[in-house]
Amino acid sequence: MNTFLIARFPKPDFTSGYQYPEIVHGLPYETFWSWMDVAVLIIMLSIAAWAVHKRRSRGVLFTESVISVLYFGFYRSGCVCSVGSIQNVVLALNDSSYNLPLAVLLLFLLPLVFALFFGRVFCAGVCPMGALQEIVNVRNFRLSRAVTNALGFIPWIYLAFAVMYAATRSQFIICRFDPFIGIFRMGGDIGMIVFGVILLLMSVFMGRPFCQFLCPYGALLGLVSRVSVRKVEVTAKECINCTLCHNACPVDAIRPPHANRPEETRMTGVKRILLYLVILPLLTVGGALLMQSRSEVLAGANKDVRLMRMLNEYDAAPDEGMTAEVEAFYEMGRSIDELTVRVDATMLSFRHWSLIAGGIIGLALGCRLIRLSVKRTRKTYEIERAACVACGKCFNYCPQNKSKIKYEPQNL
Amino acid sequence: MDKKKEEKGLSSPMERREFLRKCGTLLAGGSLAAIGGVLGSRAKAAGGDTMWQIDPELCIRCGRCQTECVLPVSAVKCFHANQVCGYCDLCGGYYRANVKELNTAAENMLCPTGAITRRFVEEPYFEYTINEDLCNGCGKCVNGCSSFGNGSLFLQIQQELCLNCNECSISKVCVSNAIQRVPVSSAYKLKDKA
Repeated sequence: MNTFLIARFPKPDFTSGYQYPEIVHGLPYETFWSWMDVAVLIIMLSIAAWAVHKRRSRGVLFTESVISVLYFGFYRSGCVCSVGSIQNVVLALNDSSYNLPLAVLLLFLLPLVFALFFGRVFCAGVCPMGALQEIVNVRNFRLSRAVTNALGFIPWIYLAFAVMYAATRSQFIICRFDPFIGIFRMGGDIGMIVFGVILLLMSVFMGRPFCQFLCPYGALLGLVSRVSVRKVEVTAKECINCTLCHNACPVDAIRPPHANRPEETRMTGVKRILLYLVILPLLTVGGALLMQSRSEVLAGANKDVRLMRMLNEYDAAPDEGMTAEVEAFYEMGRSIDELTVRVDATMLSFRHWSLIAGGIIGLALGCRLIRLSVKRTRKTYEIERAACVACGKCFNYCPQNKSKIKYEPQNL
Repeated sequence: MDKKKEEKGLSSPMERREFLRKCGTLLAGGSLAAIGGVLGSRAKAAGGDTMWQIDPELCIRCGRCQTECVLPVSAVKCFHANQVCGYCDLCGGYYRANVKELNTAAENMLCPTGAITRRFVEEPYFEYTINEDLCNGCGKCVNGCSSFGNGSLFLQIQQELCLNCNECSISKVCVSNAIQRVPVSSAYKLKDKA
């Protein structure tokens, strides 16, 4: 018999031959479904890679988007997804006692592996959040490049914070601030649903605001697809500089031809690179230290730290009444020493991880600044690897993909 | 001769860019393989999927399960361990405290949704049943049964309803940290299966 049962009343001895009812509590086939998700993911990623690189078909990708929204979104209710799995993986790397299911690890790795070979085919039509925005998208209102570049840095900040809060076992902020899960589940936190609806309304007029300016997994996929084995190309034939793909791209990932004629000697180039090499570590260390100096504030997101602060507040002013947490703490007879030990450990890990998170932000900022100051010569329209979500809109606009006539490339 | 050619090749901007890209590919592939290797071996050792569940030993019936679940009606339901129940007429989980008359008039009922029904078995015993479709997981009856009875009523996450969120939103605000991940093989913490 369990210890937590209080036998105030004896077990009744029935004389009428009463039988205890047999109650069976149902269990879903959780293991089956998690492997089903992995299987569907692999199939959809493979089809997307084929559609982007071989077939160059927007239709296939759009069909995949619809399937993804229906299956991963509405049917499977969106949890756990590849975007959120970043946090599980970080937590598992930091804390070996955390049990990371193999299926979740695969959800995290597979899109990155495909990105390494084929670019961001996961974003193309497999991710339900990207697919939902893609389906409703009608027009391409474009922000200026400066604004896009500034907003495009948000995912790195988001990623750094997500890593820090996951590693310190405080919160999964990517899941908490997921704008589309409420729409997929048709219920949930009203604030996030409103945010999701606003994002969807925005994505009617501009391409994928969430993917471009928020998604932390997109930042990782972009990083990997910079060095991908195969690059997403508008056409297999020669570009004729017709500008049609450039106008069609919803995420402004197609760069027009650009003549780069820097009037500098070799020495100035070398000096500039040296300057970058000095700035980059400075930004990294600066970011790390700045973030660490705020670690006390950041630790407020942790449940134990919050409880400790509530207890201190209650001790300072007992007349103001207990919060439910403080009441529970005393009711359960938990000791303050045990909590202090836990809070100290959490604060220490916050000091480490705020350093790492600040470092990530600083490093990403430095790399972005360097990238912005590097100008390259392009003779034709070229897709920028990191920004391209492989949605395939440009494929149908390119006359080279459609026509049997051979156009001669024009020199601009 | 060969060496000279190689040097020449690397000094051309396109070649150098390609070389750096290949290095990057290897680096990225290597780190992905490393993450996969480290966590994959550990995942195999740990094994299996997990689900969220309430530990009734820790639960103090704060009532947040009713309001914090992402579902419109919480996936947390009251379970009843018949093997533990005293089958009393005056049930602390069925009637409100200090009721004047022991009848099923609405003002006497503790359950706000009428999810608890009882059936006469034999003098003086009554069998209590929870209608899970009506239960909203508020835990009022659990509180009553734990205060005045054997504690046969307890809160559990009904796994068929639970969406198995990556991070359970009730667990984030649970005052006694009673909601934790458990292996699928022991997805319920039942009181009568000790």
